[in-house]
Amino acid sequence: MSFNELIKRTCKKLGENNKPTYVVMAIAAVKGICRPLFTMMDKTESPETKKYTALREGLTEAIAIPAYWACGEAAGKLANHLYKNAGLAKRAEKNLMFMGVCTAALFVIPGLCSVAIKPIMDYIGIKAPDHENKNRTSAPLQEKPLQQQQLTSPFFNNRQYLSLHNFQNRPYTGLRIGGM
Amino acid sequence: MINGISSLITSSQLANIAQNTTQSVAVETTLKSIGRPGFILIDKDIDADTKQYAAAKEFLYQATCLAVYMALIVPIFKKGGFKLAKNVIFKNTQGFEHFKDVKEYMHYRKLADNPSVKNRISTLNKEILSEGEGKLVKEKYDETLLTELEKKSPDKFDYVKGAVELSNIIGSVLGLAILAPQVSHAFIHPALRFLGLEDKSKKQHAAENKQLNHTV
Repeated sequence: MSFNELIKRTCKKLGENNKPTYVVMAIAAVKGICRPLFTMMDKTESPETKKYTALREGLTEAIAIPAYWACGEAAGKLANHLYKNAGLAKRAEKNLMFMGVCTAALFVIPGLCSVAIKPIMDYIGIKAPDHENKNRTSAPLQEKPLQQQQLTSPFFNNRQYLSLHNFQNRPYTGLRIGGM
Repeated sequence: MINGISSLITSSQLANIAQNTTQSVAVETTLKSIGRPGFILIDKDIDADTKQYAAAKEFLYQATCLAVYMALIVPIFKKGGFKLAKNVIFKNTQGFEHFKDVKEYMHYRKLADNPSVKNRISTLNKEILSEGEGKLVKEKYDETLLTELEKKSPDKFDYVKGAVELSNIIGSVLGLAILAPQVSHAFIHPALRFLGLEDKSKKQHAAENKQLNHTV
């Protein structure tokens, strides 16, 4: 079959019934490939951040494709049960399919993503990089060096472990004024 | 209540939106711009600042996608796809010969979708061309189209509709998956800074971090 024939057949099919699921699934499929690719090509991010973000984007679209299809088809199937009149059932099928796709975009996909992505990422063993929000407000950035400073400041342990031996014979380290 | 739901389900206007790629994608993107930030905001595992930032970023991303889609993709692919199909793929056959552009076809299709022959004819006799001086839309239609509209079930020229929808699908995919993310990438960070959710650019932060590391 030539390319022109394929286009003609596709046009015929789309002209008769352009299901709302076709376009959203096509967009999700291309997004699922392109968005992670663009993320991986970003030179300003660290490799861990890129890997994490790309996988997250890919998973979101991988969840979206079956969700759109299932919601659209399931809602469309309801039409035949609801309406006996063939004309009304046909129109209802299109509308219900569209409503199913809208429900998927509004509730099902964001809900599934927030429930499923974190466990999948944990299972694969990829964790969110600590500096994920490094380009945010300056407040956390100012806190970070202070915390580091506190951790790395010299700490003199002037306490001896108490034991019967050192308790009886050794004073605490250094000179003490006033017997403290 | 039940009657309202039933009339919505069987609404011919909703069916037209559902069958139209551009309108359904626009509705879906609008819903995404509400749903995704909403779910981020109700997530209990993220702190308030991050939630606000992520939700605003997601909303701006979807809004930019919608703007790019409506401004660039719809007019280019709708008109371009029709011309390509008419002149190259179908070579003025399968119904393309009756229509000069997409607008003309869409007008015909809308009339053909009307179940009442009487209503179709009265609309044709009333409607005046917006660009012509008092000229009726009917005068643009050829004999075949006028004969079809007088039939109970007129030919809707599915090949023409399919070609328009196919070019819209290709435009939607290219626009929303490739072009819009690039545009939004350039727009989102300045917009977030304008909203006060992001103070400085990455470069400034990197320089600041470097400076702080040296002082520590």
